[in-house]
Amino acid sequence: MHNKVFPDIDYRKAAAPIKSAVDKFQLVPEFLKVRGLVKQHLDSFNYFVNTDIQKIVRANDRIVSNVDPNLYLRFKDVRIGNPTIAMGDGVVDDLSPQKCRLTDMTYAAPILVDIEYTKGSRGEYNTISRNNVTIGRMPIMLRSCCCVLYGKDEAELARLGECPLDPGGYFVVKGTEKVILIQEQLSKNRIIIDTDRKGNIIASVTSSTESTKSKTIIVMEKEKMYLQLNQFTKNIPIMIVMKAMGMESDQEVVQMIGRDPRYGALLLSSIEECASLGIYTQPQALEHLGEKVKKQQPYETFPSSKEGRALSLLRDVFLANVRVNKNNYRPKCIYVAVMLRRMMEAILNKDAMDDKDYVGNKRLELSGQLISLLFEDLFKSMISDAQKNADATLSRSSRSSKFDFSMLIIRDNITHGLERALSTGNWDVKRFKMHRKGMSQVLARLSFIGSLGHVTRVSPQFEKSRKVSGPRALQPSQWGMLCPCDTPEGEACGLVKNLALMTHVTTDQEEGPLISLCYAMGVEDLELLSGEELHSPNSFLIIFNGLILGKHRRPQRFASALRKLRRAGKVGEFVSVFVNEKQRCVYIASDGGRVCRPLVIADKGISRIKAHHMKELADGVRTFNDFLRDGLVEYLDVNEENNALIALYEGEATPETTHIEIEPFTILGVCAGLIPFPHHNQSPRNTYQCAMGKQAMGNIAYNQLLRMDSLLYLLVYPQRPLLTTRTIELIGYDKLGAGQNATVAVMSYSGYDIEDAIVMNKSSLDRGFGRCIVMKKYTAVSQKYDTMTADRILRPRRKPDPNNRGDIEWEKMKILDDDGIAAPGEIIKAGDIYVNKETPLITKGNATMTGLQDIDYRPNREIYKGAGGGEPCVVDRVTLCSDKNNNLSIKFIIRQTRRPEVGDKFSSRHGQKGVCGTIVQQEDFPFSERGICPDLIMNPHGFPSRMTVGKMIELLGSKAGVSCGRFHYGSAFGEPSGHADTVESISETLVKHGFSYNGKDFLYSGITGCPLQAYIFMGPIYYQKLKHMVLDKMHARGNGPRTLLTRQPTEGRARNGGLRVGEMERDCLIAYGASMLIYERLMISSDPFEVQVCRACGLLGYYSQKLKTGICSKCKNGDNISTMKLPYACKLLIQELQSMNIIPRLKLADS
Amino acid sequence: MDPPPEPVSYVCGDCGMENTLKPGDVIQCRECGYRILYKKRTRRIIQYEAR
Repeated sequence: MHNKVFPDIDYRKAAAPIKSAVDKFQLVPEFLKVRGLVKQHLDSFNYFVNTDIQKIVRANDRIVSNVDPNLYLRFKDVRIGNPTIAMGDGVVDDLSPQKCRLTDMTYAAPILVDIEYTKGSRGEYNTISRNNVTIGRMPIMLRSCCCVLYGKDEAELARLGECPLDPGGYFVVKGTEKVILIQEQLSKNRIIIDTDRKGNIIASVTSSTESTKSKTIIVMEKEKMYLQLNQFTKNIPIMIVMKAMGMESDQEVVQMIGRDPRYGALLLSSIEECASLGIYTQPQALEHLGEKVKKQQPYETFPSSKEGRALSLLRDVFLANVRVNKNNYRPKCIYVAVMLRRMMEAILNKDAMDDKDYVGNKRLELSGQLISLLFEDLFKSMISDAQKNADATLSRSSRSSKFDFSMLIIRDNITHGLERALSTGNWDVKRFKMHRKGMSQVLARLSFIGSLGHVTRVSPQFEKSRKVSGPRALQPSQWGMLCPCDTPEGEACGLVKNLALMTHVTTDQEEGPLISLCYAMGVEDLELLSGEELHSPNSFLIIFNGLILGKHRRPQRFASALRKLRRAGKVGEFVSVFVNEKQRCVYIASDGGRVCRPLVIADKGISRIKAHHMKELADGVRTFNDFLRDGLVEYLDVNEENNALIALYEGEATPETTHIEIEPFTILGVCAGLIPFPHHNQSPRNTYQCAMGKQAMGNIAYNQLLRMDSLLYLLVYPQRPLLTTRTIELIGYDKLGAGQNATVAVMSYSGYDIEDAIVMNKSSLDRGFGRCIVMKKYTAVSQKYDTMTADRILRPRRKPDPNNRGDIEWEKMKILDDDGIAAPGEIIKAGDIYVNKETPLITKGNATMTGLQDIDYRPNREIYKGAGGGEPCVVDRVTLCSDKNNNLSIKFIIRQTRRPEVGDKFSSRHGQKGVCGTIVQQEDFPFSERGICPDLIMNPHGFPSRMTVGKMIELLGSKAGVSCGRFHYGSAFGEPSGHADTVESISETLVKHGFSYNGKDFLYSGITGCPLQAYIFMGPIYYQKLKHMVLDKMHARGNGPRTLLTRQPTEGRARNGGLRVGEMERDCLIAYGASMLIYERLMISSDPFEVQVCRACGLLGYYSQKLKTGICSKCKNGDNISTMKLPYACKLLIQELQSMNIIPRLKLADS
Repeated sequence: MDPPPEPVSYVCGDCGMENTLKPGDVIQCRECGYRILYKKRTRRIIQYEAR
């Protein structure tokens, strides 16, 4: 009938969504292919190696002797060679990262310089050039442009023993993998308006130039403006500073700040103060400042000149980022004026305050920058050392050999300095007053995700203990840059962050051309502006990297022109242009450390990316860089995002829209990317999972069995999750999974499932569910000693010693080969010897011992302590290599397979952890009509309060997945773009395959065989086995070791310690009245001790073995001695107090 | 007395060549100069228990 009325309308078609949006998802894998997950680290390191190192060397390229200025050495060029190492015998070996990991070497490459130097003396000099002189070894970041892995394909990587999925971005130092964490700090050279502790408004600038670092603060105190600078003893009225810089006219200062009478009024009291001090001219001001300068620190050297210290401080320290050219202090005055203006704006309008936590005000310092700081310091030290040495040698009157400058620069200082900083994580750079700890960490290799998450971690600079919520809170400006989920719980919560999937961190870009470009585009030079013109209402200030360039009359036009140039590729892709309407400024930034992310450009709300572009991408004719070059995609940093209107989806774009997101799920990081349907979960659950995903066992890398990690947890049958996300595919979690798809029944069973415990199916465990391998490394070194002797490794005894009855040692050596080293494949038990090593009795002294007999050795065998548990341990691998002292080092990998037991920890991907509560025979497990029997049973009480709806959808999705044979997706926010299946479509699939739409099944009880009263929600959920296992934790003891000092039982499982009845437990017992129990626990079972107490003086005496009585050493007799028992720790306390001149006296009462 | 010691050979990590070592030798493959050697698997019969 309808057809008759509206014959031409196909309702199906009308209801279908309008095909307008182009699927831009393919850009994400393409982006990651081009940039990689840790491209920030690699870019930063590459920049250092290619550009920064040359800048450093070029800036300090000359060593000139002070004694004979004709003798000099000049560095012409510097570069990093290929990773090699010179072995002791003069052979140069090529290095590969895997080789370094196995032999505890540093993966480093020589720093090669071309030098030119003069040789000779007294009038005859000849210049010599030498190329490729090694001045040290630079640790090389894996996969950087200097690394042997750079640009290698999978097969080549495999040949080098490397995992193709490993992201790189770390270093190998002395065999351990070290990550330099990304350091988050406040941006340098920018004005930040803030309040100090007293609530005063301050404007602070942390200046950082190649030569100096300083912090300048202008503070508004009691309505007057002051300058705070470390080099001055007191706060200086800002008007005096202005006058000292030659700005003698108050009127001009007011003009420069702005003609608004409110600003003038705010400045009035400052002007008055200056006038009341009687300072009107520059010399007066300088004199005033000179009195306030702190006494010169001993090693701080400033060029002493006639101008006086005050002026040189103003030039070099005060706002050091604003350069003074030919004594022209005007730019500095204007900078101060702008700072004052910003402060006054903040006073008049609190909104103008800067937010320190705003991501746009932050800079991320990456490994390249940090290493460059270190290198600069070491290089300068080397040069000054060389100069000192040269002067010392040259000033010596009788020189035997000819002086050779090039001999002085080949020192190990650079090598050792870099290596030390990387391996300890302590960055001590005196030159820049930098003392930071914990900059590098050992790369977490417990799981693949753990290592990935580790290299994208961002750690804060400031101290953690402060109880403020500001820096910990989620910042809206983090969107797309830092993962909102991935942060640790507890102390560092919200301070330690992780980068999001598509984040890029910029590196420095050359400023010169950009500045001249700005002038060419109509920026009026600051030099040519009068104070009056500075803030004229029709113009905006142009601020380039924190430096005021000038003003522009048509800021929007200027900004869009600059953006056009950037999109056309004429200007670096990471240059950001940000028009701040409120501050009437245009900020241009090209500095390093800004976070940015790619976005699709839209014109009037219409995406520039069309279907044909994506087709070209799919065909492989177009790469991500082509998108960038063609101006379809661009990088926006946090500041510039404020000038953009970004639509989440193409369909939502309005005519005002300037950009369109590539994919919403890229706001999450790698760890949060594993969670299916995270947008259906309560947010803290996702945070918990981010922490737990790093502890999950699975595969860590393709080369996991070739590596020699000191501790390695592997899953025996790892699986790929049935319900995947796009992120999982992008980062390779589907290839290196850390979990198994367990069929879960959500029901109550047996009471052993309360408090998140799970009931496991014994047959599933037999089939290999949750089975894991633990591999531990043990190292034995055959030492060489100064006495020209060495340890020896002996052939084991195969039979008992006939001279020594009851000899059982030979039995402990059964697993040894004839070389005295345990053989791979042997089962090793606790107490077994794995290296039959002997050490010479005399190892010290300088006498050379030769011809040692058997008698001169003592056994120093390596004995296996055992791993515990029912399962046996097996020697998996034994490698021999020489360490850096040329000692033979033998490494054993000992493997143990473990099946899950009660108390092992498991977790789904939704922050739902639980221990195994009991293991039940499959016969007793519930089963469905199809014969499906769950692998584990989870208590339904886990759901209501935690609200992990994502887990339920995961169950549904994986159930549909196994039924129809297709992996289902659950990417974050993926439903509109088709990267997550909707519950509706999943239910359809379920129904199609004969399941209920709601995922509930009809189950029979395994115990009674009766149908269960309810339908049970059952299906597969990806479960992770976490590294916490009972076997490594369980501990109990009766008698055992005691500490030497207090004679109380030792502490901790590793020392077989006792379990402490602590003060709270004691309080309970006191309250209960169980005094005898306390007596027993705290004394008899702990450290009872018999003492002699003098009743007369109350001091402790001693027991005289000769007289067989107790004697008081104070009273010199044994008349009033009583014998009593007290804890040894109490006696120790008494004596320790006595040693501090406090006498505790015991007063005894009758008992 | 014990039977005379059979020299134990080690496998090179790079080329797979078998090397024998005497005490005090440099740990290096004779064939390719690779500096990591692996011990060969035991020749005794080992019975593992699979549970």
